[in-house]
Amino acid sequence: MDLTVKIKRYNPEKDDAPHWESYEVPADPLDSALALLLHVKWHIDGTLSLRKSCAHGICGSDAMQINGENKLACSVLVKDLVDDSGETVTFAPLPSAPVIKDLVIDQSRFFEKYRSVKPWLINDTPEPERERPQSPEEHEIIEDATKCIMCGACTHACPSTWADPDYLGPAAMLKAYRYTFDTRDDGTEERLDIVDSPDGLWKCYTIFNCNQACPKEIDITRWLSALKRRAVTSSASTAA
Amino acid sequence: MASSKSNAVNWFLHRITGTFLVFMLITHFWVQHYDHSVASVTTDVVAQEGELPTYSDEAAAGVKAKFGADAEVTPYNVVMQRLADPVYAVLWKGFNILFLIVALHHGFYGLNNVLTDYIRNPLGRVMARVLSWSVALVLLIIGLYSVITAGW
Repeated sequence: MDLTVKIKRYNPEKDDAPHWESYEVPADPLDSALALLLHVKWHIDGTLSLRKSCAHGICGSDAMQINGENKLACSVLVKDLVDDSGETVTFAPLPSAPVIKDLVIDQSRFFEKYRSVKPWLINDTPEPERERPQSPEEHEIIEDATKCIMCGACTHACPSTWADPDYLGPAAMLKAYRYTFDTRDDGTEERLDIVDSPDGLWKCYTIFNCNQACPKEIDITRWLSALKRRAVTSSASTAA
Repeated sequence: MASSKSNAVNWFLHRITGTFLVFMLITHFWVQHYDHSVASVTTDVVAQEGELPTYSDEAAAGVKAKFGADAEVTPYNVVMQRLADPVYAVLWKGFNILFLIVALHHGFYGLNNVLTDYIRNPLGRVMARVLSWSVALVLLIIGLYSVITAGW
């Protein structure tokens, strides 16, 4: 089939504002959306900029807005895009993020928020001889959250992020959940201090856009709610 | 240690007040608009003490013009009677005061969220917070005064 691929292009050195450009691309229904972009880049216009690496939904590089929804370009098939919207597929950078060029966004703010929640194991007890064990049951609590590939689809789908760019966002707070609920971690209080802030946890209004956008189908809203409950009990025990 | 600026308590109260509001709103609408006789013995009081205030003729005519000749124009009268009820007045005053506090907290916590979504300057946020909770406090005082003095 022949598709019209519309891409939101922006070159800050030449353009005053982003604009749409259309390309005719031959495609197979079982091609990935990424294949459409690579066809444009390799055969039509080499100046198109985009991020991609593994192309198998693991590295999280190619999150973008496809037909109006945040998705991983490598993990969505053409047949699932043209069914709903006819023969046109649109690509735009993740919304609310600063654009460097075309589909490439500036992720520095995103990773700054990620680092701010201390996404590592905090445990000052002496290192055991072999390892810090974790039972399958204990791992089950954080299993879903460990699937996050940091693609940013969720945070840039979140209306709270759109309204307040300083909001930590679902991706960073999911990491906070992942370590706070890790039974080997002792950093609950210092991490809660960070997420229990005016630009943190309480700006999650359970809108569920993050769940809908997540290419790994992580139940993000559910885990953020668990983190909120933990913050409430922690704050109650501090007050007592 | 959660800081004193923590919004955890307000967030938690927002869930509680939301749950309360579901039941209180249903109760409120039911006694206000469908069955005025719930927990009320005011018919006797009216007989003893004469008529309590009612809508003016103009207001009643306006309501009937808008909603039809069968429209019942009694809310003010009914509310005053209920809050003057010799047996249940305390119950209804208590209900209304709780309803008032719950609704104000729920509404103004929500409003604060909206304001801080769009106001990112720390000083602006403090001012918006102080201003909105001040409005809530004024409304609380007016509400408490109205409920406590009504019918007594």
